Amino acid sequence: MKTVKLSVLVSALFLLFGLNANAQDANTILKKMDDVMYSAKDMTAKVEIVLIDKSGKEKTREALISQKGTKERIFRFTAPASQAGIAVLSLPKDVMYLYMPAFGKERRISSSVKSQGFAGTDFTYDDMESKPYTEKYTPKLLPAEKDVYVLELKPLSPRSQYSKLILKVNKSEFYPTYMEYYDKGNHKLKESTYHFVRIGKYWNAQEIEMKNLKKNHITKMIMSDVKYDQGLTDNDFTVRKLKE
Amino acid sequence: MKNRNIIIIFLIAMIFSTKAMEAQNENALKLRGYLQTDQRMLLKSPNDWAWNENRLSVKLEKKMKGKAKFYSEVWLRNIGLPNIVHSSDLYNKNILSPWNLEIREAYVEIYGLFSKNLDVKIGRQRIAWGTADKFNPTDNVNPYDFEDILDFGRHRGSDAVTLNYYFSSDYSLQSVFVPFFQPDNLPVGMFANLLNMNMELPQGLVLKSFTDQVSTPRYNIGESSTAGLKFKGFARGVDFSFSYLWGHDGLPFDAYNTLVPFDTLGGVSVNAQLYFPRTHIFGFDFATSLGGVGLWGESAVFLPEHKHVMTTDVSALYPASPVPVMIDSVMLDKKPYAKFVLGADYSFANNSYLNIQYLHGFVNESGSKNLNDYVVLRYEMKFFEDKLKVAPISGGAVVTDWKNVKNNYAIFYVPQITYMATDNVELDLTAGIFSGKGDNLFAKLADYNMLMFKMKYSF
Repeated sequence: MKTVKLSVLVSALFLLFGLNANAQDANTILKKMDDVMYSAKDMTAKVEIVLIDKSGKEKTREALISQKGTKERIFRFTAPASQAGIAVLSLPKDVMYLYMPAFGKERRISSSVKSQGFAGTDFTYDDMESKPYTEKYTPKLLPAEKDVYVLELKPLSPRSQYSKLILKVNKSEFYPTYMEYYDKGNHKLKESTYHFVRIGKYWNAQEIEMKNLKKNHITKMIMSDVKYDQGLTDNDFTVRKLKE
Repeated sequence: MKNRNIIIIFLIAMIFSTKAMEAQNENALKLRGYLQTDQRMLLKSPNDWAWNENRLSVKLEKKMKGKAKFYSEVWLRNIGLPNIVHSSDLYNKNILSPWNLEIREAYVEIYGLFSKNLDVKIGRQRIAWGTADKFNPTDNVNPYDFEDILDFGRHRGSDAVTLNYYFSSDYSLQSVFVPFFQPDNLPVGMFANLLNMNMELPQGLVLKSFTDQVSTPRYNIGESSTAGLKFKGFARGVDFSFSYLWGHDGLPFDAYNTLVPFDTLGGVSVNAQLYFPRTHIFGFDFATSLGGVGLWGESAVFLPEHKHVMTTDVSALYPASPVPVMIDSVMLDKKPYAKFVLGADYSFANNSYLNIQYLHGFVNESGSKNLNDYVVLRYEMKFFEDKLKVAPISGGAVVTDWKNVKNNYAIFYVPQITYMATDNVELDLTAGIFSGKGDNLFAKLADYNMLMFKMKYSF
């Protein structure tokens, strides 16, 4: 009887340590991915957004993006003409402002907008956010594939629109290569693929393709003219700059 | 006519030349704008045309090495319907096809002048104050543009100097100075009389003719200028501002009426003398997000500089009286009164959006006794990657006398469908259904239920 108890205890300890080691590995991988994605101090780029509907018809939007760290960003549309000049300023603690030239003033937007599609794309405001994944999700390691680690991410916030994400991370460079998004009913909603290139000392998501499986609609986000570490300051991410 | 052709040729040439320059150089003069047609038809038979407007908006912008910006917006419009009275009018294309040219804005903004924290903007500009949607009681620097009575909240630009000093990224102080007084402009077309006050005459008298004279403030700093300060801040997740404006009422007040007999049946002619009283306006607004819900509030306290008394001279009706016969009525006391707006909005995950506002005091109302209570609601849904936007619930209600609601109310329902036919072509179909009783703007619109169609091409 004593032997049985001991073996149960040992098994439990192994399981506990095993799980802990597993979680730690998953956390480490996710942390490394965050480091790869968000290690630059700041970044500016041109973004081309291509919307492809189920019949293959394409529409293009263009924007300029400026970002400092993971919490400050200005996204300014430059085309098409109907959207040119519209800009969104994202600041820490979910503070967001929308600037529409026709109104001549900024408008504070509520954080509920985060679950909505961003400007007709398949990305939500939440998807566009550059908050580190380690701050938004709890990772769990799944069996790895040939070149990638596979993680299951569960949102920390109950208000997330997703029940989980399945993430594939490049084993050698730790950038994401593929992601699946599951809705609250645990149905696969969207999937995204990433094409990273090295620019200087940083890996850049040169092209992200997001496919909405329900709508059979695709959004491609293509970055160009990417510049890192230009010394942007907090003053570049203010309502004053948003309106310039 | 020759001038019009020159203007049109100039605008078209400018569009092509600046587009070519833009393609070559990002810092070149940028030209944007839109062409919009706005047609409205009354629903009641015989379905009169209520509005005809074809607008070319041309916006020019040039940034100068990040140190300054030039911006202008010009409207070239064909507005209104031909008003032909005499055969001679048939020779006049301005009557056959009325048009106008308007400089909405034209300013230069200099960033970091004298100090890196100071921005200066000089020229005709829109100075938009307030956080509420469309209905902003603190937004009084620019005159209201009531031309299109359904475009609430539209203002004209003012020729002004604006200084913005940024203490930090969260706190700033804005000072504005408008040297010349510009009154609000009134509605046009069939809506022309909607903002006119009902004139109450002594019993037995009937208004037969009406004339008026408007006194504008003398054009000097003391009388015609408007000046204001606004302190803006952000703390604990809340945007807020405090403002003060030394301005005028944009709509004229009746100061002196002279009644003269018109006929022997009790008909009278009225001559009114109108003026624009000085007013001090203290404002406050805030905006925040709580649990995903956007919340805002905005209030303006108006303090008239003088008590406003309307004198009605009826001496001509009493020729035997040894002394002038005058009737004085206090129209606006020298007491503060407050207009305010409280609002909330929420964006749902299914791409729908809800916005609700409560207003105390509409844009054309003044004096504590004349302020009414409004609720305005809008729920809109977006489909097909935002190409189609439908607002099935859009409208509101007003009660002008809570003691007698059934005779003093109005409801309005304004459902809207907007479709982006291409990236730059927007089609918009809106219905305006108004119902009500009593002396309020929306009740007066009850005769103008209409269908509105707009097409906008942006370039």
